[in-house]
Amino acid sequence: MSTDIQQTIQRIAEIIIDELKLEDVTPETFDPDLDLVDEVGIDSMDLATVALVLRDEYGIRIDEDDYPRLTTVKIIAEYIIEKQSENE
Amino acid sequence: MITVSSLLDSHWYERYKKISKLNIRSSIYDVTNRCNLRCKGCFFFSSGEHEVASEETDIEKWHAFVQKEQERGVNLAILIGGEPTLCLDRIEAFYKRLPTFCATNGLIKVPRDRFPDMMVGISLWGDDKDEKTLRGKDTFAISSANYAGDPHAYYLYTITPKQLGKSEQIVQKIKDVGLKVHMQLLSNDEGVDGFSWKPEELVAVRQEMDAMLDAYPETVISSKYYHQVITTGTMLGRPFGWQECPSVTDPLDKRTPRPKRLTNFIRWSSDLETMHRCCTSETRDCSTCKDGAAHMSWVMVNKRAHIKTAQDLQNWIEVYEMFAKLYQFIPW
Repeated sequence: MSTDIQQTIQRIAEIIIDELKLEDVTPETFDPDLDLVDEVGIDSMDLATVALVLRDEYGIRIDEDDYPRLTTVKIIAEYIIEKQSENE
Repeated sequence: MITVSSLLDSHWYERYKKISKLNIRSSIYDVTNRCNLRCKGCFFFSSGEHEVASEETDIEKWHAFVQKEQERGVNLAILIGGEPTLCLDRIEAFYKRLPTFCATNGLIKVPRDRFPDMMVGISLWGDDKDEKTLRGKDTFAISSANYAGDPHAYYLYTITPKQLGKSEQIVQKIKDVGLKVHMQLLSNDEGVDGFSWKPEELVAVRQEMDAMLDAYPETVISSKYYHQVITTGTMLGRPFGWQECPSVTDPLDKRTPRPKRLTNFIRWSSDLETMHRCCTSETRDCSTCKDGAAHMSWVMVNKRAHIKTAQDLQNWIEVYEMFAKLYQFIPW
């Protein structure tokens, strides 16, 4: 993985941990392939909360219709990088 | 970090995965201000909600409205009243576009040639004596004849303190007509004498609801955790109330901090413009509200709070499954 995506993954993990007050996990130990819905129990309201922070941080809008496919931190990172490149 | 699979064995994990991505987005619609009954304790009339807006009568406006609701992301339309079956054309506007649930007193049969698989919830407030006291007539005699054996209908049995010790006869007679039943509790908005819950009665009714679920597992659609939450008014040590309620109309929700809540939920009046504050009576004391759907939703939206122990998560799964069955997202 490139440094860009690794940094993005780590930052997203940090945001998720902070916003959702997840315990016993750090950005470094957060598995980027862990299914956020099936395994962490994140729901659409959680995703909306995280999406707001990501919007401010990365200057991209996450469409609500895209929530169902944003199932892991890695997928979210790839989504953000793709959106940013579209905006350039 | 505690994960779902670390708490559940394969059986429970499979059950969890069947519901974890359903993403149910409901809203509630007053189809009409009119009813063919006037039940004592019905929040719609006791709080004057039938007078806050005049009904939209242009059916084309109903179709356009439902189209917009669909575009807003609603994937479950819960139709209440007044009595929705007085306006079948309005029900049809929803049914053609969205998964639709219709609450009814069952006096008018929903024509199955027009609405073949629409889920119908038939209200029942007790035995024939209590039905006559509270609703003016024994509706069961009529509604059971209308819906006997219907796989897309069930009874919403509102238990009152007067029903303590009598619920088995109700459940049995529902079973006998080939229907299922979901139990909820009367909130007694009009303060009808003898129909308000006392603490010891809530303890007793929880035991009775549990016993009915054990004795009639094929007939009763419920969960013991739901019984616990609705009778104690607490979940994971938190009391139910305004600051916790998940069923507040989203654009009117000014609470800070915002609690976990139903996404984009709105309860619409039948003028298709006015919004009600929440899924039930605005005049109700939230701390004693017994609204069944609000309590179910309260559990459902607090999923991560239940990812602490295997028992907590299993409790959450059972409540979510119950809701999904009652609104046909998963089979009985």
